[in-house]
Amino acid sequence: MAYISLRAVHKTYPNGYCALKNFNLDIEAGQFIAVLGPSGAGKSTLLRAMNALDPATQGEISIDGVALNKKNYRKIRAHVGMVFQQFNLVNRLNVMTNVLVGRLAEHSWLSSLFYLFPKTDYQIAEAALREVDLLDKAWSRADKLSGGQQQRVGIARALAQQPKLILADEPIASLDPKASEEVLKLLRKICSEKGITVIINLHQVEYAKQYADRIIALNAGTLVFDGSPEQLTQARQAEIYGTVAEEIYHEPELVLAHA
Amino acid sequence: MNPSWYWPTPNGKPPLTAVLSVVLPIAVLALTASTVDISTNKIFSALPRMLDFTRNLWVMPDWAYLPQLGEKMLETVEMTLLATALAVVLSMPLGILAAKNASPHPWIFRMTRDLLSLIRSLPELVWALVFVSALGLGPLPGIMALALVTVGFMGKFIAESIEVVDFKAIEGLDSTGCTKFQSILYAMLPQAVPDFIGSLLYILDHNLRAASILGLVGAGGIGYDMVMSMRLFNYERIGMIALSIYALVTLLDRLSDVFRQKAIGGNLNVH
Repeated sequence: MAYISLRAVHKTYPNGYCALKNFNLDIEAGQFIAVLGPSGAGKSTLLRAMNALDPATQGEISIDGVALNKKNYRKIRAHVGMVFQQFNLVNRLNVMTNVLVGRLAEHSWLSSLFYLFPKTDYQIAEAALREVDLLDKAWSRADKLSGGQQQRVGIARALAQQPKLILADEPIASLDPKASEEVLKLLRKICSEKGITVIINLHQVEYAKQYADRIIALNAGTLVFDGSPEQLTQARQAEIYGTVAEEIYHEPELVLAHA
Repeated sequence: MNPSWYWPTPNGKPPLTAVLSVVLPIAVLALTASTVDISTNKIFSALPRMLDFTRNLWVMPDWAYLPQLGEKMLETVEMTLLATALAVVLSMPLGILAAKNASPHPWIFRMTRDLLSLIRSLPELVWALVFVSALGLGPLPGIMALALVTVGFMGKFIAESIEVVDFKAIEGLDSTGCTKFQSILYAMLPQAVPDFIGSLLYILDHNLRAASILGLVGAGGIGYDMVMSMRLFNYERIGMIALSIYALVTLLDRLSDVFRQKAIGGNLNVH
């Protein structure tokens, strides 16, 4: 069985919009997978279904042989890091605390109450910050950092979870080209050196071809391409972006979900 | 009307809601003015008496009263600080339960909200009357009354500042597999800190003024002296009391400005 498997996954939002339709996918461990597709195609929905931030309405998703359900999603999330377009850091806390947050799932409510972390957590957090080259900013407030640095803190938080899988939902969409490349190189390095599976939503086909082992593409909630970067020819690209799901722009809630 | 000027609406006319929000309050005011006995006549005929009162204030202060004034002002400040501190401790958990996004269940949210508005529905003075009749005269019933009403307000303020916290940080926490309790502690509360401090400073200001009139019903503070000297036309004291309350409120206001700047500007870090 593949590391991640999606079987007949459907996602229908409360307003009736169907973002994923009968979706099947298998992903092998340790790969760097880029997900392409026009806005509203279901890329974010796909990633957010994998850690149940937006649970699938039908079908089965299993990670490492464990099927995701209402009772175990917290346990699964503990070892699935997520990197967001808007970084989703706690702005008023310092960088170190933002990374240590990745350890919270392992702790009881009592130790969390006093903001106390064991020494081993600090070692994990420091290693993560060294990995993203931000150890010197450990005690700065998160919102004092530049966008690229904040995204690297986001990656360090994911690393502090000691994940087997990192889901990156358009991690470079708010960054300038230089910071974008840094973040992509970093994720690629994490994947290659640590064997962590990375699934990344992207808007730039060039980056996908440059960094990914495998590219999948969605349009209107269905898989329209699945193959190696070499197989993604100009003609196939035109097909992927050919029909844009217009309807989503009339649903403010969904535009937000896909922003 | 100059035809080249239009409102920024599709038809160039002012929006209905804007018109109503100006017209309706004016209509309500016009209708109610007579029932609450507002008349310009009455206001103008009272002017000489007001002037009389003001003139009477210009007398030599009663210096012998100074030690007692100091003692009573100190008591007022102590009541304010104690009541506010007590209220903050009590209102923190209630505020979390009363925030829609932090409450463990919609019913708990609803019930806590209703409890808080029940507490707020009576002013400090009325609660003070209740506590004075139960505990006797003195600052203790005053502190209890003040703390209770402050819980009502502070709980609501805390809940509201938690509700407007940016959802992105909360989602970031949720994605790591932590519990709701942890995400309240690490995402909601830190982000709500500037708002908390803003409301806390406002409440301190309000409580100082509230504590200074609780003496009216025998619940401690400067209020008793103030009311007695008013009733006895003891102008030598009224001026002193009013001035010292003014000085204290102003001092607190200055201090809170400095503190607010630091807290919201980020110099006051959580760590």
